[in-house]
Amino acid sequence: MSAQTQLAADEKPWRRAGEKPFIRINRLTKKFGEFVAVDDVSLDVYQSELFCLLGGSGSGKSTLLRMLAGFETPTSGTIEIDGQDMANIPSHDRPTNMMFQSYALFPHMSVEQNIAYGLKRDGVASSEVSDRVADMLSLVQMSDFGKRKPDQLSGGQRQRVALARSLIKRPKLLLLDEPLGALDKKLREETQFELIKIQESLGITFIVVTHDQEEAMTLATRIGVMNYGEIVQVGEPPEIYEYPTSRFVADFIGSVNMFEGRVKEDDKDYVRIASDEAGTDIHVGHGVSCAPDQKLWFAIRPEKLELRRKRPDGDFNILKGMVEDVAYMGNLSVFRIKLDSGKIVKATQSNRVRRDDEAISWDEEVYLTWDETAGVVLQS
Amino acid sequence: MNNKFRFLPIATFLGFAFLYVPIIVLVVFSFNKSKLVTVWGGFSAHWYGELLQDPQILGAAWISLQIAFISASLALVLGTLAAFVLTRIGRFWFKPLLSGMTAAPLVMPEVITGLSLLLLFVAMEAMFGWPAGRGFTTIVIAHTTFCLAYVAVVVQSRLSDMDESIEEAARDLGAKPVRVFFDITLPTIAPALMSGWLLSFTLSLDDLVIASFVSGPGASTLPMVIFSKVRLGVSPEINALASLMIGVVALGVAIAAWQLLKSPQKSKA
Repeated sequence: MSAQTQLAADEKPWRRAGEKPFIRINRLTKKFGEFVAVDDVSLDVYQSELFCLLGGSGSGKSTLLRMLAGFETPTSGTIEIDGQDMANIPSHDRPTNMMFQSYALFPHMSVEQNIAYGLKRDGVASSEVSDRVADMLSLVQMSDFGKRKPDQLSGGQRQRVALARSLIKRPKLLLLDEPLGALDKKLREETQFELIKIQESLGITFIVVTHDQEEAMTLATRIGVMNYGEIVQVGEPPEIYEYPTSRFVADFIGSVNMFEGRVKEDDKDYVRIASDEAGTDIHVGHGVSCAPDQKLWFAIRPEKLELRRKRPDGDFNILKGMVEDVAYMGNLSVFRIKLDSGKIVKATQSNRVRRDDEAISWDEEVYLTWDETAGVVLQS
Repeated sequence: MNNKFRFLPIATFLGFAFLYVPIIVLVVFSFNKSKLVTVWGGFSAHWYGELLQDPQILGAAWISLQIAFISASLALVLGTLAAFVLTRIGRFWFKPLLSGMTAAPLVMPEVITGLSLLLLFVAMEAMFGWPAGRGFTTIVIAHTTFCLAYVAVVVQSRLSDMDESIEEAARDLGAKPVRVFFDITLPTIAPALMSGWLLSFTLSLDDLVIASFVSGPGASTLPMVIFSKVRLGVSPEINALASLMIGVVALGVAIAAWQLLKSPQKSKA
């Protein structure tokens, strides 16, 4: 079985066979001395996509972005944008623009001058420059701030100016390095949706680098998860979350409970995994390509676990443990449950009623169960 | 507790008095009417007038200003280049050594700098006839070498503080490297350049020891003239001259410091 088959093919270009990618990254490698920052990455991004490169610090995502912008020269491999090889094109001639993490606004220039800078370098007539600057300012809702200097703006305002400046040349590809990283949580959430709106209205292809998985989930048409310079999985946000292909991805995106086990029964329609860690047999309701007695991992998200006081029927998919901790988060409560094997399992329950005196609490003995299709089997 | 609070202002006062009373005395006595330096004979600006009549002093002042201007400007260019090399060219194994060597003239005893330059000039003249004799040119060269170190240090610190992504942003928006330098880099480091130049200018104006070594007939700088006059006895005229120099140097240093302080707010990420 493969996860991808469950997603129906529709109009999305990356799902259509034979669709021509807009950006083609082919076997790209970047070494700094002995250190391999980007390791043999191949990636296709399609027109008008909002593609997120997601990874921790040092995963190579920023280096990849900087190679697209032309600030770093690849050690090997090629980058093609709209059919054009970028190998010998310096950054000032590329059809890309970048929005920097620090925003990199020119401190000695006003907001208008900052935004106009790119057009002036292209020798655009000054009447057109001022029109387009005004358009950009209104697009990012900064029309009243054109005469200010960057140090007279708040973080959110600077972010808007940086966005306007990087969009004004109508690049074929906009590169955004942690575009919302410097904003506080509330502002970040609002800005995410604005960013999507702007991207959709302009139709420009965006590649966003972020370490924030929530941000990637909200923004992206597709996500590429990076680790140690490699892209470990590419997929749409639900696909990445529900069908991770490795323990790294499962663990990196959201939170997950992972059980190590061995294949006990392998059938066309199901597999049975024996896990000492879980203290129960795990029944997976679909076929898995595996060898008998093979070691593998079963991953299940905390919200997919059902919490009960009474032991459910059956002899599989049942965990027994003691509530060690309950964290009330407002919209949901997170239970930390210690199994007999000593393993801690996380389960979440949404708080549908305001006050629940019957709620499961500290030091109670509980059972956890889940649907046979709720988790994923991971082989690496 | 109280004692401590009383002690601090007193200590501060004494410290500053130690530093500045001699200068204040000098300035006050430059307005002394009496011909005797140590006896107060009433207020007068007479000696300043006298100063303007003295061709030797005026000539020396003119030479000093020219030397200071030229060597500060040369040091600015060379020091800035050195600063760029030291901050922008990636890591190489002897970079710390190079960096230390650039700054070494700051702590080198002037007598040694002066002597070694003198030996160099003499040897060069013997080998290929340039610089012919000692004088204006040799002083300019000597001052440039030690001022360069100051400029390099000041500009280097500014450059390493600078957010390089603003240069990348300019490149990204279509500016060629030269354009980036003039549009972005230069305005950003301008305060450091300004203060480096002013610092060099005042240092050159101040210098007595090195100039004495490498100077020749006909090129006496102002400090040299003052020093030779003082050896014959302090005159109120010298007090007046010294007061003027203090004024010029203090102004230069003050502007340099102000330039460095007001330099654009470090961009908060």
